[in-house]
Amino acid sequence: MEYKKACFMIRNKDYALDGMRSALGLAVENMYSYSVLVDTEIDKLDEENIDRLEMLRDMEGEVFSNVQANCDKNGFEPLTIEEIGEKLRDMDVIVPYGIK
Amino acid sequence: MKVLNVYRSEPDETTKKLVEIVSRDRETDSFDLSTANPDYDQLVDKIMDADKTICWW
Amino acid sequence: MAKSLGIFVTNPDNMQHVMGITKAAKAKGSNVKIFFTWTGTKLAKDPQFPELCNIADDVSICLDSYRKMGYDQSDVPEGLTADKMATQTQHGIIIEDYDRYISL
Repeated sequence: MEYKKACFMIRNKDYALDGMRSALGLAVENMYSYSVLVDTEIDKLDEENIDRLEMLRDMEGEVFSNVQANCDKNGFEPLTIEEIGEKLRDMDVIVPYGIK
Repeated sequence: MKVLNVYRSEPDETTKKLVEIVSRDRETDSFDLSTANPDYDQLVDKIMDADKTICWW
Repeated sequence: MAKSLGIFVTNPDNMQHVMGITKAAKAKGSNVKIFFTWTGTKLAKDPQFPELCNIADDVSICLDSYRKMGYDQSDVPEGLTADKMATQTQHGIIIEDYDRYISL
């Protein structure tokens, strides 16, 4: 069975944590699931969200960002906008999440 | 692989860059959803015709 | 046979689009399933929501999001039943089981 790949694209910090939660929701449904925080900086994750990030990673998901501060604070994997675009080419489902 | 890019607002530089990369070497179509009265009938036809729809912010 | 359509709603400003796409898809004979999450669940209180539930084949909302938007889970939106206040599994069903997908 081929598992689908989904990516949540988040550009508004008010949608970041729920976008990551939605990504985890699809990972639980046996999909490869990712979130990308684009051009927006979020606070340091609390314990509940650190746990969610770990669960997502346990299911081979990841959170990426093109904002270095997000990577420094929360351990997200850094990607340039060009690298994000290349990653999106490989996705079955791309979800620009919430509002800009 | 045919990709339909739908825009809920005027695409900025980031969106344009992502669309350019995702659409490279692929058949593409687009639809502007930011107008006052979008033609939903036409949009649904385009969604059904495409393999993948991306509705950008 | 018309292709089926799944709609994933995350933006509280998109009721016009949800209604417009659903009506157009139903007119073409498509089976339409809609799932609302996060601030999109505010649309369950939109005056058009009961009509949407009537038109679409399957409408559900994320219960956890609905609660976080300040609503009580006993306050079942008109048009829904309590079992349609569900989890992100509904999004997974849209992706796996429906021919076409759009997020709004």
